[in-house]
Amino acid sequence: MLCALAAIPVLISVAVRVSSAVPPGRGPAFLDRIAQNGLFVGVTALVVSVPLFLPLTVGVVAGDTIAGEAGQGTLRYLLVAPAGRIRLLIVKYAGTALFVVVAPLVVALTGAGIGSALFPVGPVTLLSGDTIGPGEAVVRLLLIAAYLAVSLLGLSAIGLFISTLTDVPVGAMAATVVLSVVAQVLDALPQLEWLHPWLFSHYWLDFGDLLRQPVSWDSFAVNALLQGGYIAFFGALAYGRFITKDVLS
Amino acid sequence: MNRKWLRWLPAVAVPAVIAAGALAGSLPASAGDPLPPKTPEQVLQLIAQHREPALSGTLEQSSELGLPGLPKSAAGSDSSSNAWLELLTGPHTARVYRDGPDNARIQVMDRLAERNAIRHGNEVWFYNSKDNTASHVQLPTDAAGRPQHDSARDVTATPDQLAAMLLAKIEPGTEVKVGADVQVAGRAAYNLVLTPKSDATLVGSIAVAVDGQTGLPLGVEVTARGQSDPAFRVAYTSLTLGAPDASVFAFSPPPGATVEELPVPEHKHANDAGKATAPAAKDGARKPAVTGSGWDSVVEFPAGTTAPASDATALLEQATVPVQGGRLLSTALVNVLVLDDGRVVVGSVPVERLQAAAAQK
Repeated sequence: MLCALAAIPVLISVAVRVSSAVPPGRGPAFLDRIAQNGLFVGVTALVVSVPLFLPLTVGVVAGDTIAGEAGQGTLRYLLVAPAGRIRLLIVKYAGTALFVVVAPLVVALTGAGIGSALFPVGPVTLLSGDTIGPGEAVVRLLLIAAYLAVSLLGLSAIGLFISTLTDVPVGAMAATVVLSVVAQVLDALPQLEWLHPWLFSHYWLDFGDLLRQPVSWDSFAVNALLQGGYIAFFGALAYGRFITKDVLS
Repeated sequence: MNRKWLRWLPAVAVPAVIAAGALAGSLPASAGDPLPPKTPEQVLQLIAQHREPALSGTLEQSSELGLPGLPKSAAGSDSSSNAWLELLTGPHTARVYRDGPDNARIQVMDRLAERNAIRHGNEVWFYNSKDNTASHVQLPTDAAGRPQHDSARDVTATPDQLAAMLLAKIEPGTEVKVGADVQVAGRAAYNLVLTPKSDATLVGSIAVAVDGQTGLPLGVEVTARGQSDPAFRVAYTSLTLGAPDASVFAFSPPPGATVEELPVPEHKHANDAGKATAPAAKDGARKPAVTGSGWDSVVEFPAGTTAPASDATALLEQATVPVQGGRLLSTALVNVLVLDDGRVVVGSVPVERLQAAAAQK
């Protein structure tokens, strides 16, 4: 799955490399900057993968956690060991969280790597028009990956909860992915403006705030708070469901 | 069975705690020390005595003008008139930095894009990240030649400029009073409320939040008549007094950007051959005619003064509705009537009065 994610920046950079110059303002954000600076491949790949690819992979991993074990019939053996259900749940979520941290990092770093191989690397122009050196740009890229990791933690908590509900892993995966798409559709409807700040996907694309000069940390903070709420909410629900679930019969 | 439900308890408690926390967070924070009571005159003095401050803060602007929302992708990137219209519809967040009268920077923060206006001494830069274009204006060095309305601030007006503009309109036709204190950007502020005495205008009231300590206007709210929510609102959401880092004002166009040199906005010499645009069209016999006074005044532009740009025409067609004698652009605060003979009648009054004013000529 990580390889599939890593293919996105490769595809983008090869496509830009073989095609003619991209007119500014067309296509995904930053696409026109790639030919001037390879480091933008990482950013563009993240912009492209945030709406679908990253939630898709996170949904697959999170949906598989409990339901996968239950579906294969291995869950009861795991619970026979004197480890406790809470511990199992925490370990499963930690595994998901690790994937959530690694996935955007892979996209960003592969993008930066392939970009610097195919295109010149130089000072990076920020959204504010200021320029920073390549070293600082990589730091910003890592910050964006961290932002997206935080952003996806809420979705992975939802996936964990759904995974405790069913014994069919595919159902849990699909439900998680569908939820992330539904949240983004709701986020696009102006009639539901009151709901938008509560949607876990609302701040996903605001990682652009890290590309401003000076960095705007507001969205990072409010996003972290929101995702923390989602983790606590659905973590508690998953705990309640899993602790009372009749697994052994 | 009972034991099973007991085990659900933490799972129910955590969402309840979160809900309670979210509810408590959304309630407005209670005001701290109440400000000493002041009359409207004293609040106006407080505004007048505040000096060009050094500050950095975040502005939030929202409009409910009843204009159709422009699609985000269409606005901003193509033409400047669309970008300007886009600022009037929908919410915006901007960061403002100021240090004295000669250093200012405004960053309008769009999603994955940003529009910048920077003034550093006599240099004025505009930068749009969406199409990677920069424009540069070199202001004349002598202080007298400095344009009154600094173009660097036209992108999103800061509250103090808006307040100064609005307070200049105070006249016998307006009731001015100081309402209950408000909290803006965590600071206690006086709330100066202006209510038109006339019934004919669309403006219900204008509220200006004035910082109790410094006299700096912190926010402006314009409410249309008969509406409870403000039709237009600009306010700081965070504010730090004190000079921002000097590097904020230093700007040089990034490599690869399209740089355009703009002519200096000259107001005195209108006989520039190259520019037959707004300044030349406004003077002399083609001056707009004003009927009525105060809040009910109706401004009539003769035909030909406001030739819309070709790409804006389609937009105008969409935004306006046909009425008797022309097309009407109706917003919560202002009505614009474009007559069939080319005249444009503008006023903060109902459309019937606009039609009556147009019929008089």
